[in-house]
Amino acid sequence: MHIYAFGSVVRGDVTASSDIDLLAVTDGHDSRFDPAQYSIYSYERLAEMWLQGTPFAWHLAQESRLLFAGNGVDYLGALGKPAPYMRALEDCQKFAALFAKAKASLIEGTSSSTFELSNIFLAVRNFATCYSLGVERKADFSRNSAMRLGLNSLRMNSDAYRVIERARMLSTRGVGKDVNEAEECFVKAQLQSIDDWMENLMDLVKKNERVREQN
Amino acid sequence: MSEFENRIDAQRAILKIVNDVPGQQEALFGLSRKAIDRWITSNSIDPTGRLAELVVSAGKELFFLANKSQEQVTDEYRIRSSRVSEITALLGDEVKRSFAEPR
Repeated sequence: MHIYAFGSVVRGDVTASSDIDLLAVTDGHDSRFDPAQYSIYSYERLAEMWLQGTPFAWHLAQESRLLFAGNGVDYLGALGKPAPYMRALEDCQKFAALFAKAKASLIEGTSSSTFELSNIFLAVRNFATCYSLGVERKADFSRNSAMRLGLNSLRMNSDAYRVIERARMLSTRGVGKDVNEAEECFVKAQLQSIDDWMENLMDLVKKNERVREQN
Repeated sequence: MSEFENRIDAQRAILKIVNDVPGQQEALFGLSRKAIDRWITSNSIDPTGRLAELVVSAGKELFFLANKSQEQVTDEYRIRSSRVSEITALLGDEVKRSFAEPR
């Protein structure tokens, strides 16, 4: 069995609102690990993810630190570098679809508006991460990855961005002040900026795919 | 539709059932254990009652599916997926009953 820390605690950008991400690598079921506290994967599955070059494999390869190794060997370190990430277009489309559905639900007037605002934050963050890994080849796995893409950063009103970030906290960690109606309306009025940003970056992802196919 | 989208849709459906019931102090924001605990406290729901039990179970099943999202479809995965559908069906009646009764 192996235990790793990963994410913000390894990047060194822990804030009061950061979670401590822990990974347990096990052979089959291990009741010592609470799934609410740990991401739990088998050795086989992680090796497979390395071969597929998934974003999570790259995340772990770039930002994990061994805490415990039952056999004294750094399992992830021994896996080396993951295969190149090849699914940027598919993944970006998946997160664009998540955004579109959450937006539609908000506009229809859902009773779960905080959840949908949280989905928008998740879509934006993961879209940015997949774009950075697929196109820029220097992945940004941080919470605010969408704001850290230089000229390709999301240009969204910062107050509206903070509302969707807070919604994500409410939905995942159950902390923070609930989003009120005025804030929800304000975010809704800003959603076009996310549409435009995703469309522009999607063009870059497609261009990148075409270049890759030609080579 | 991808497993990821299925899980989000399943969560959306469960939240809709719960949040469409009027008169709650605060909506259920998500199916993480911490979000569920907040909803239980905000709405003075009996944490040992049937309603809380169903919502917590739904969260656990979806959490399992999320952690196993890249796994090949196994019997356990299929069983847990259908369990989420069962819980969703049960929740409709339970949530109406719970909020109709004085707590």
